Amino acid sequence: MAARRTRKGRTRSRAEREFVSEAEEIVERMRDDLLSLSEQQAAGADPDPDLVNQLFRAAHSLKGLSGMFGLDGMSELAHRLEDVLDRLRLGRVADPTGASALVEEAVALVASSLAGLGDDASTAATVGAISDLTGRIDAWLVLPTEAAGDAPDLAIDPTLLRALTEYEEHRLRHNVARGRYVHQIETCHDLQSFDAALSELGEAIKVDGELISTLPSAAGGDGSEIRFLLLAASDLDAPDLAAHLGLPESAVRCTGRSGDAAGEPAPAAGAAAPAVPAAEPAAAGRAPGDEVETLKSIGETVRVDIRKLDELMNLVGELMIQRRTLGALAQRLLADDQTTRVGAELDKVHKGLERKLQELQAGVLEVRMVPLRQIFEKLSRVVRRLRRDLDRAVKLEIRGADTELDKLIVEELVDPLVHVVRNAFDHAIEPPAEREAAGKPVEGTIRIEAYQRGNDVIVAVSDDGRGIDSERVHRKALERELVDPEQNLSPKEKLDLVFTPGLSTRDEVTETSGRGVGMDVVRANVTALGGLVGIESTPGQGTCLTMTLPITLAIVQALVVSVGAQRFAVPLSAVHETLFVAEEDLQRSRGGELLNLRGQALPVRRLAREFALPQTDPPDKMSLVVLGLGELRVGLLVDRLEGQQDAVIKPIQGPVADLRGIAGATELGDGEAVLVLDVAALVEDAGRLREAA
Amino acid sequence: MPSILVVEDSATMRSLLASALEELEPAVKITEASSGFEALRLLPRSSFDLIVTDINMPDVNGLELVSFVKNDPAYRSIPLIIVSTEGSERDREKGLGLGADAYVVKPFEPDRLRELASDLMARSRGQE
Amino acid sequence: MSAPTETPTGASWEELARSGAAQEAEAPAARRLELVTFELDGDPFAAPVAQVREIVRLRPITPVPRVPDAVRGVISLRGEIAQVLDLRRCLGLKPAVASRSSRIIVIHGEEGGVCGLLVDAVRDVLRIDEDETLAPPPGEGDLVVALCPRGDSFVSLLDLERVIELGLARTS
Repeated sequence: MAARRTRKGRTRSRAEREFVSEAEEIVERMRDDLLSLSEQQAAGADPDPDLVNQLFRAAHSLKGLSGMFGLDGMSELAHRLEDVLDRLRLGRVADPTGASALVEEAVALVASSLAGLGDDASTAATVGAISDLTGRIDAWLVLPTEAAGDAPDLAIDPTLLRALTEYEEHRLRHNVARGRYVHQIETCHDLQSFDAALSELGEAIKVDGELISTLPSAAGGDGSEIRFLLLAASDLDAPDLAAHLGLPESAVRCTGRSGDAAGEPAPAAGAAAPAVPAAEPAAAGRAPGDEVETLKSIGETVRVDIRKLDELMNLVGELMIQRRTLGALAQRLLADDQTTRVGAELDKVHKGLERKLQELQAGVLEVRMVPLRQIFEKLSRVVRRLRRDLDRAVKLEIRGADTELDKLIVEELVDPLVHVVRNAFDHAIEPPAEREAAGKPVEGTIRIEAYQRGNDVIVAVSDDGRGIDSERVHRKALERELVDPEQNLSPKEKLDLVFTPGLSTRDEVTETSGRGVGMDVVRANVTALGGLVGIESTPGQGTCLTMTLPITLAIVQALVVSVGAQRFAVPLSAVHETLFVAEEDLQRSRGGELLNLRGQALPVRRLAREFALPQTDPPDKMSLVVLGLGELRVGLLVDRLEGQQDAVIKPIQGPVADLRGIAGATELGDGEAVLVLDVAALVEDAGRLREAA
Repeated sequence: MPSILVVEDSATMRSLLASALEELEPAVKITEASSGFEALRLLPRSSFDLIVTDINMPDVNGLELVSFVKNDPAYRSIPLIIVSTEGSERDREKGLGLGADAYVVKPFEPDRLRELASDLMARSRGQE
Repeated sequence: MSAPTETPTGASWEELARSGAAQEAEAPAARRLELVTFELDGDPFAAPVAQVREIVRLRPITPVPRVPDAVRGVISLRGEIAQVLDLRRCLGLKPAVASRSSRIIVIHGEEGGVCGLLVDAVRDVLRIDEDETLAPPPGEGDLVVALCPRGDSFVSLLDLERVIELGLARTS
C-alpha cells in the first residue's frame, strides 16, 4: 500500500482518505435513514425493511472499515450497532423505539469520533463516551429477544434456499407471517441490461410485496444472457403477479402461503410517540414551504475525484502555455517580410485556438462547481431534526439552490451553515406564545438564499425571530473585557462584536458534531476560504447573516521539497519523476548543468541557485525533480523530498506585484507560508537557455 | 499474468482488498466489482484465476454469487474466497457449503489473504 | 492557527481599527485622529488606525526570492498569504532584529489586499485633534505627514503608502 509521509509524519494512503470520506458518507446516510425510521415509528407504520437493512449494512461496513484502520473504539461501537440493528431487522426486538434511540446515540457518537480524528484531545473525550455507550448497549442486548420462529413450510427450490443469507431467511418468515404468497419467478435477461430490468421488476414487486432474494442461476445460451430465480413475497397470487410484472404465467410459480394469515404483531411504537407540535408536517413527503427537492432528483450527477479535475485544469494550463509560444512564433513570422504570409495564416489559427482553449478552461472550471443544493438538503435535515427535538414550529425556505460554487468551498461551508441555522433555531425563533403576542405568525421562518454577484456568491441566512440587540452584545463584550470601554462604537460595530472570540456562551452549545463551534469560528472558516461574513439585525424583527464567498479556489496535489530549512511546493501534475543524484552525475555544459537521463540530456537547475537561497549542508544524495510541461523538461535539484500533500494555492497579497518563479503560496497546516513554484516559468527559462547555448 | 476479481460494495474495503492483493508475487491484475450484478457482467469478459467476494451486498449477495459460479461449468473451476464478518458463521458455513474454497474474516490479515490467494491459484494451476 | 492579537488596554485592535474607520466616516468639525504608535530603532512613529487591519506577533516569515531588500518575505494570516515589509529597511535604517516585542502591523493595501509591516514594538493608540499636530520639518515632508505631540515629545505620523513605495525602490 503506497503511503506518503509528510513533514509531520502523517501517513496518508489512498485507502485512508477514502475511509474518512466513506465513513462520513455512511454516517450521513444512517442519520437520514434513522430520521425516516423514527418518523415511520411515530406514525405507527411498519418500519420499511429496506431501511433497517440499509442501516444494518452501514453499521457492518463501519465495523469492518474502522477495524482495518485500528480504530478499535469505533469498531467496537459499530459492532454493537450492528448487533442491535441485526436484531431489529430480524424482527427479534420487543421495543423497536428503544432500539432506535440507542442506534441514534451510537451514530451520533461515531460522527463526533470521526470529526475528532487526529485531534488527541477530542479523541480522549470520545473514548470515555464510547465505552459508556457500549456498556449500555451490552446491557440492552442481554434482554430476552423475540423467538426466531419456525422455518416456513414452502415448496421452494433448494438451490434458492441454500443461498439465502440469515437476513433473507428472516424476511421470508416475516412475509409468511403476514400471510403473503411466496413466489418463485424465473426470468432471463441480456447481460447488458439485466440490472436495469431487475431493478424495474423489484420496484414493481415492492408495490404489493417484497423481493427477498435474487439468485443468478445459469448463463443462458450463447453466454450473452443470464437467468435469474427470484424469491418474492406478494399480496397478489401467481397469475395476478405475472400480469402485474408483464411476465408469462409460467414464469411465476407460487410456493405456498401460510394457512392462517396471522396478522403482524402490532408495533408498540404508536402509543409511545412524543407530543408533536401542531405544525408538524406529515411523516413522509415534503412540508409546504420546503422548496427543496429530495435527493432522488439528483440522478444525473456523477461523482468525480477532484484530483482528476485538477489534472484536467493543469492540462489546460499547459495548453495555454503552448498557445502563447505559438502566438509568439506567429508574430515573428509576421514581422519578417519573407514569411509574413505564412505568419498571418498561423496567427489566424492561433487566435482560433485561443478562443477554443478559453472555452475549454471555462468548461473545466464549471465541472468543479457544484450547486449549493447538496448543502441545502443537509440543512433541511437539520431543521427537520430540530423541529422534532424542540417545541418550535419553524419552516425553512430555500432560494437559489442552483447557485454554484467550487466543490471545495461548498464542502467547507457545511459546518458554518449548520451552526448558523441551529443558532437561528435555538435562539432567534421565539416560542409560539411569544410570537403570537408579538403579532407574528406562529410558524417562524428561516430563509437561506444564495445568488451570484460578480465574482462572488452570496449566501444569506435570515430569520424573522427576535433579532439581536446590539447594546446587549456590547454590554456582554464589555463584561468580558473584550472591548475597550472608552471605545465609541457604532451600532453596526457593536453588532459585529458577536464574531469576537470568547463572547458567545449559549451560542457555543455543543449539540453539534462535538466540535465547539461559535460565531467566531464561523467567521474564521469563511475568511479562510477567502470570504467575508457580516450580520444585520433589527430587534423584534429578525436577523440576517450574509456570507460573501469567492467563486472558486484552486487546490492541487503538491510535492513538498526542501532546500536547507526552507520548504517549497511543486504542483504534482508537473512532476514526471523524482530521483536521487550525486554531484558526480551532473555534467557542466555551456547552458548550465546537465544530467544524462536514459540517454537524453536533461537541463538541471539548482533551486538553491535559482532562488539565491542560503545553502546549508546539502545531503550527499540530492533529489532531482523532473518537471515537464508539454515537450519541455527540466530537472530541479533540491536537498530533500518531503512528501506529498494537498495544497490550496493562494495569491500572495502585497505591494510587490510580479514574483518571478512563484505561482503563489500555501499553508501546509503548521501556520507557515510555503511558496508554490511556477513550473512554467522554470521550464521556459531552462528551455530558452538551452537554445541560447 | 494471473487475474483476480474482487467483489465488494464498500469502496474502502474494496481498495483495501485490492491493495493487499496487489502485493502478490508474481504480479497480478486486479479487477474490481462493486456489486454482484457487476461481477455477473464482468465474469464472461475475461478469464479470472481467483474470485474474492464479500457476502453482504445488495442485489445479488455473495452466497448467490458463489452458488452461480459453482453451478456454471464455465466458472466452477475458479477458486473462490469469501470475505465475511465475525459473527456471521451461518452465512460463512453456507458459503463453504455452496462451494467456496476458503474464507477470511473482516478485519482481514493481508498476509493471510495473500497466502490463501497464492495457494488457491497455484493449486488450480496444478490441476489444469 | 491565528496568533493572538493584543493591546495594552485589553481591547482588540480590530475593534479599534473599525472604530477609527467609523469615526473618519463621520467627519466632525475638529477632526479627531486615532493613531497606532510603534517604534523603529528607538524612534516613535504612528499610522492611522483606520489603515490597520490587525497586529500580530512575529511568526516565521517565509523568504521570497528576487524581491527588493525591504521585503522580508510572506506570512500566512489564517490562510491568507501576505507580504511582509521591514519598515526599518523602507526608511533606510538598519534591518530589524527579531525580539519579543517585534510585531507585524497588517495594513489594508490597495484594492482590498493586505500587507504586513515589521516593526520593533507597538506602543499604544494616540487620540489627538488634528489641529494639535505640527507640520513636519522640511526634508522629511515626503514620508512624514505630521508630528503628533505625546507627552513632552513627538510621534512622526507616516504616509505608509509613500514609505512602502520608496522602500521597495531602495536597492541597498
